[in-house]
Amino acid sequence: MPKHYRPPGKKKEGNAAKYITRSQAVKYLQVSLSVFRKLCILKGVFPRDPKKKVKGSHHTYYHTKDIMFLKHEPLLEKLREMRAYEKKVEKANAKRNKAHAERLLSRKPSYKLDMLVRERYPTFVDALRDLDDCLSMVHLFASLPPSKRENIEVDRVHNCRRLSHEWQAYISRTHKLRKTFVSVKGIYYQAEVEGQKVTWVTPHELQQVLPDDVDYKVMLTFLEFYETLLAFVNFKLYHSINVKYPPILDSRLEALAADMYALSRYFDASSKASKMDVEDVEMSEAQLTENGDERAELEESELRLAQLQHQLPKNEPGALMHLLGEAEGNEEDDVDTIKCRNLFKNKKFFLSREVPRESLLFVIPAFGGTVSWEGEGAPFGESDQSITYQIVDRPTQKRKFLSREYVQPQWVYDSVNALILLPTEEYAVGRVPPPHLSPFVDNEAEGYVPEYAETIKRLQAAARKEVLPMPGVGTEDLVDSQNLLVEGIIDRAEAFEAAETQRKMNIRQTQYHNELRMELKGTQYSSIINASTQDTVERRDTEESPSDSIQTAKDADDMSKIGVSRRTRGLIEAMEIGNKKKRSRSEHLEKRRREIKAAQQS
Amino acid sequence: MTEEKKSKNSKGKKKAGKQAEEQSQLNFKEIEKAVTGVQDWDSGESGSSDFEPVVSDGYDSLTDTGSESVQLTESENEGDGVRDSAYDVSSETDSSEDEVAPQNTVGYDAPEESDSEDDDAPEESDSSEDEVPPRNTVGDIPFEWYREEEHAGYDPSGKKIKKKERENKLDKYLEMIDNAKNWRRIYNERDDEVVELTKEETKMIRKILKGMAPHPEFDPYQDSVDWVKVDKAEHPFPDAPEPKRRFIPSKWESKMVVRLVRGIRKGLIKVDDKPKEEDRVYLLWSDDPNSTDRHHIPAPKPKLPGHEESYNPSLEYIPTEEEIKSYDLMYEEDRPKFIPKRFTSIRSVPAYDKAVRETFDRCLDLYLCPRTHKKRINIDPESLKPKLPSRKDLKPYPSKCYLEYKGHKGPVVSISTDSTGQWIASGSKDGTVRIWEVDTGRCLRVWELGEAVQHVAWNPSPELSILAATVGQDVFLLKTGFGTEEEQKRVDDLLQFQSQTIPDASGGSENIVKWSQDDIHGGIRLNHFKTVSSVEWHRKGDYFSTLMPHDILFSILYWFLFWLLFSATKLVKKLETGLREVSSIAIHAGGDNVIVGSKDGKLCWFDMDLSSQPYKVLNCHKKDINKVAFHRSYPLFASCSDDCTAYIFHGMVYSDLNQNPLIVPLEILRGHASLNGRGGVLDCKFHPRQPWLFTAGDDSVIKLYCH
Repeated sequence: MPKHYRPPGKKKEGNAAKYITRSQAVKYLQVSLSVFRKLCILKGVFPRDPKKKVKGSHHTYYHTKDIMFLKHEPLLEKLREMRAYEKKVEKANAKRNKAHAERLLSRKPSYKLDMLVRERYPTFVDALRDLDDCLSMVHLFASLPPSKRENIEVDRVHNCRRLSHEWQAYISRTHKLRKTFVSVKGIYYQAEVEGQKVTWVTPHELQQVLPDDVDYKVMLTFLEFYETLLAFVNFKLYHSINVKYPPILDSRLEALAADMYALSRYFDASSKASKMDVEDVEMSEAQLTENGDERAELEESELRLAQLQHQLPKNEPGALMHLLGEAEGNEEDDVDTIKCRNLFKNKKFFLSREVPRESLLFVIPAFGGTVSWEGEGAPFGESDQSITYQIVDRPTQKRKFLSREYVQPQWVYDSVNALILLPTEEYAVGRVPPPHLSPFVDNEAEGYVPEYAETIKRLQAAARKEVLPMPGVGTEDLVDSQNLLVEGIIDRAEAFEAAETQRKMNIRQTQYHNELRMELKGTQYSSIINASTQDTVERRDTEESPSDSIQTAKDADDMSKIGVSRRTRGLIEAMEIGNKKKRSRSEHLEKRRREIKAAQQS
Repeated sequence: MTEEKKSKNSKGKKKAGKQAEEQSQLNFKEIEKAVTGVQDWDSGESGSSDFEPVVSDGYDSLTDTGSESVQLTESENEGDGVRDSAYDVSSETDSSEDEVAPQNTVGYDAPEESDSEDDDAPEESDSSEDEVPPRNTVGDIPFEWYREEEHAGYDPSGKKIKKKERENKLDKYLEMIDNAKNWRRIYNERDDEVVELTKEETKMIRKILKGMAPHPEFDPYQDSVDWVKVDKAEHPFPDAPEPKRRFIPSKWESKMVVRLVRGIRKGLIKVDDKPKEEDRVYLLWSDDPNSTDRHHIPAPKPKLPGHEESYNPSLEYIPTEEEIKSYDLMYEEDRPKFIPKRFTSIRSVPAYDKAVRETFDRCLDLYLCPRTHKKRINIDPESLKPKLPSRKDLKPYPSKCYLEYKGHKGPVVSISTDSTGQWIASGSKDGTVRIWEVDTGRCLRVWELGEAVQHVAWNPSPELSILAATVGQDVFLLKTGFGTEEEQKRVDDLLQFQSQTIPDASGGSENIVKWSQDDIHGGIRLNHFKTVSSVEWHRKGDYFSTLMPHDILFSILYWFLFWLLFSATKLVKKLETGLREVSSIAIHAGGDNVIVGSKDGKLCWFDMDLSSQPYKVLNCHKKDINKVAFHRSYPLFASCSDDCTAYIFHGMVYSDLNQNPLIVPLEILRGHASLNGRGGVLDCKFHPRQPWLFTAGDDSVIKLYCH
C-alpha cells in the first residue's frame, strides 16, 4: 500500500485538506480564471506557501478556507449576473433590437465594495495600516492620461484626483504630515494618522508614460478597490474633524463658482474655523483640475470672485492665518503635531511658476505656513509685502524684494524633514543645493552618515539647545587635521599630535555627552565613574597593538563559535555575512567620499 | 380460397368458348394468378348468359370482420355492357351494438335470381364449388397427361372427349393477323377454348396489375358518411347574446389610470425605474467591531527609499563611469535595480518612466506572491553565542610561549615528559632521541638511532627512568641515567637481566619479537617483524604495549617486568564518534571521560556514563588533529593539529554525577610553522605537575607554553 493511500471513506487531512491549487479552486468555484483573479484581488485572497506541497512545487496553493470564503461571496453571484447581462446586451445588438439594448444599457448591474472594505479591514486602524499601496496607486492614476485603449476612463482619473486631493487636504489640514522626500521616482510623503505611519509616493507632475507590457485590467481592478477604500477612509477622517464629506461635489465643481461660494458659506456657518482651509485647499485644487478646461478662464474669474467675497468679511489678507490660529487652540494634539504645525507658523510663502505647486501647496500648509502662487485665483500676489519666503527654481531671479528670502523648493522639503528652518544661504537662487537626503533612513543603523546629515544634526541640536559640542571644540577642527595632512601643510609628527589630541578630545567629548545624558536620565555619579573606568579598562585591553588585537579578537570569535551547534553557527555566520556586506557598502561610500574630496581639493 | 378462385375462373372462361386455344399470346395462367383474389366478372360481350353471384375476397374479408352482411345487387344491362350496381346498405346493425361500423363497407348484392343454365344457386352463400359444373368433365387431372393426345379426357360414360381439332399454323397466323382483337384472346387449356377478353376485363386486369381495386366504379377515396352518430356533444352551443360589458370601456381601468396619472403627477410614482443611486460613501467604521481573526498575513510594505534615490543625492552615492560599465558584466540578478542620478534642481527632474511598471509589479506581488510567516531574527549575532564563564576565572592555563627547545634537524614527531617533570624526551625524524631539561632548554643527551623515530615514551614510574623509543621495526628501551644510584643500578640490572631470559618467556611469539641487547645505546632492542608505530607504558610502569599498524593482527604485546605475557582483550564499550577517521585518543584521569581527535578537525568529548554518543563535538581545527592530551591534575585538555595551532580547553569534570562536564575553549596557541602545509603541530604533552604544555612542531622545534 503506498504511503499516501487514503481509504475511500476517509477525509483528507493535513496539507492536502488545508491547501488547494489554483486550478482546483477555479474549477471548484466554477468561474473563469479572470473572474477568479478579480475576486482574489477584491477580496484580498493571496496564495500561500505550504510547507508540504501535495500537488507538487510548480502549483500555486490557496488556503481552502480562503476559497470557501470566496465561494460564499455575494460578489461571485453578482459577477455571474453581469456576465449574463453582457450576453443579453450582445444578443440584443446582434438582433438589431436597439430599443431593448438601450433599455438594458440603462440598467447595467453594478456592485459595491463597501462590505468588502469592512470585511478586509474590520477596524479603521487596519485600513490605515494598509493604505500605503492604495494611496500610491490612486496618486499615480490621478496623474495618468486617460486612455481608451487601456480602458482608463476620464471619470476614474478625475475620481482618483479628487480622492487624492481630499486625502491631502485632510493631512494638510490636521498637520499630520511628517516627512517628505523628493526622489527620482516621485515625491514621497509620510504622514502619521492615528499612530499609523502612512507612506505614499506621488509621481512628478509631468506627463506619464503608459508602458505596453502592463496588464491594466489587473491594475484597474486594484484601483477599483482602492478607490472605494480611500473614499471610506476619507469619509471617516472628515467625519472625525466634523467636516461633511464629500466636501465639494463634482457637479458643483463643474457648475458655477457661485455654488462653491454657497458651499463655503455653508462651511462657515457650520463651524467657522475648522472648515476654512480645507475648503480653501479644495478650491485651489478645483482650479488645478480645471486648468485644462475650456471654461477655465471664466470659472477661475468667478472662483476668484467667490474667494474675494469670502475673504471680505475678514477684511484682511491674513484672515486665513488668523483662522488657523483659532483652529489650533481648539485641538488637542500630540507633541509632534504641534511641532509640525509651528514650523512655518507666521510664514508666508509665494510660489513661482516653475516650482511643483501641487506638492508645495500640500506641504507648506501642513506645517503651518500660508501659501500663494503665481497665477489666477491666488490669495495674494507676488507684491505682497508680508511674504517671507519666495520659492523659486530658476537660474536667476531678476527682480528681488529685500523683505523676503528667495529659496529653492528643496529648502522646504529639507526644513520639513529636519523640523527646523535651515539656513537659506545654501539654497539660494542659482546655487546647487546641498544633497537632499532621505528622511526614511536610519543613518546609524546603516553605518554610514552622509556629511550633510551630520550638519543637519548639529543644526537641530543647536536649535534645540540641548547638547552642544564642547566649548572650544569646533567640529571642523576635529575633522580637519587629516585634511591638513593630506594637503601637506603639516608634517607627520604634527599630524600625529593632532590626531592624538583629536582622539583625546573625542573621548572627552563623548564622556561629556554621556555625562550630560546620564544627568538627564538622573543616574548617580558613582555609577558613571564605574562605567567610565570599565570603559577605559576595556579600551586598554583592546588597544594593545593592532595586529595582536585583531588576532585575539578573531581567536575569541572562533572560540566562542566552537561549542555552538551547527545550525546556530550557520545562522551566526549568515548574519555576519550580512553585517559584513553592510559594512563593506558603507566603507565603499566612505572611500568614494574621500576620493571626491581629494579630487575637489587638488 | 385459391381453389375456389380457380373454379370460379374456370366457370367464367367456359362461356368464352374454345375457339382460340394456343394462339393466345397471353398465358392464361399468369393472368389467372394476377386475377387471383379478385372476383370474376362475366363479360356481356362473350354472349354468355350465365351470371354468378360472387362476393369478392376483399370485401369478403371486410365482411368477415364486420358482423353485418352486405349484399350486392347487380342488374345487368346486356346492351351496352355497362353494369349498374346499386348499393344497398343493410342496416342490420343495431344501434344497440356500439361497435364502430366500418364506414366503407360496401358490398355487392348477390343476384336474386341467377340465370345460369346448369347451375342453380338458391342460396346466397359464396361457396360456389359445385354450383357451376366445369365444362370439362375430365376431372382434376394434370393436362400434361393428354397434351399429346387427341382427346382431352373421358366423360362419365367412358367416351373420349375430343379436343378441338387443331388448326394449322398458317391459318392460325393469318387469323392472328386478320383479327385485330387477337391480343385479347387467351387460350384456356383446361376447357380447350380461346377466350376473348372484353374491354372491361382488360381494364380490370390492368388495374389489378397496378395493384388497384379492380372494379372501375369503385372509389377508394369516397367521402365517408356519418351514417351512425357515434357520440353526443357534451356542451350545447351557447347562443346567449354578447354581454354589454364587452362593448363599453372599463370603469376600473379608467380609475386605475387616473390613479396612476395622479401618482405620477405628484411624484409618488417614478416613471423612470432605474435603480436608485444609494449613498456611495458613509461611515463604515462607526462602531468598534469584533475583530474577526482570519488567518490573514498582511503584505509587507514596500521598501522605503534610501539616500541614493534622492533626486539630488550626495556625490558619494553616484557610481562612477567604470562602475556603471561594470554593471553590464554582472548577472542580471546582481545588477543594481536603480542607478542613482543627480539633478541640480527639481525642475529638471524628468518623469519616472518606470512608475506604472513598478506599481504594476507591486500589484502582482500583492495578489500572486505566496505569503508565509517567516521569522526574521534581527539581533546581534553575538547574542546567539553561548555565555561562557570568563577565561580569567579559569586560570591558570598555558597561554604564552615561554621556551623553545631547538636542536633537532627534522620534524619532532613525539615528546614525552618524565614523571618528575624535570625532563622531556623527544624523538625526531632525523633519527635522534633527545632529552631536554625543561627549565633551561638544555639538551642533555642525544641518541642517534639511525632511523626516523616514531614514538618516545618515558616510563611513568619514578623509580625506573627508562625511555622507550620506536624506530622502524625496533623498540629501544634506553637507559636515561637519571635518578639516584640505586635506581640506576636497578635499571641496569633490569636491562641486563632480560636478555638471557627472554627466549623462555616469549614462548610461542618468537616470530613476532626478537630480544637483543643493544650495547651501543645501552639498552634493549626489540626487533619486531613489522614497523612499530607507537609504544605505550602502563601507568605503573610495569608493562608496555607496542602497536604495529601494518600488521593485520594489531598485535598488542603486554610485556612486564616479570616476564609474563598475556593479552587481555575484551570489548567493554563501543563509542560512536560519527567522525571520519580517528587520529588520537586521550583518557581523563578520572577514567570516565574520553576525548577523541579526528582527521577532519573535530574533537569529541565522550562521557562514558552518559552515552555512547559524544557529549560534545567541538569543531575547532581546520585540519587534521594530530594529538589530544589531558592534563593529569588540572582540568585542562589540549589538541594540536596540522593547521599549526593547539587549542587549550578547560574541561571540568564534576564529581557530582548530575552535573555535566564543563567545556570552555580557552586559548589558541600559535607559533609553529609548517613547511609543506601538513604536520603543523605533531605532538602535545602537558607537564605532569604544572599547567604547561609542550608542543612539538613540524619545524623541528619544541615549545613550552606557560601560564
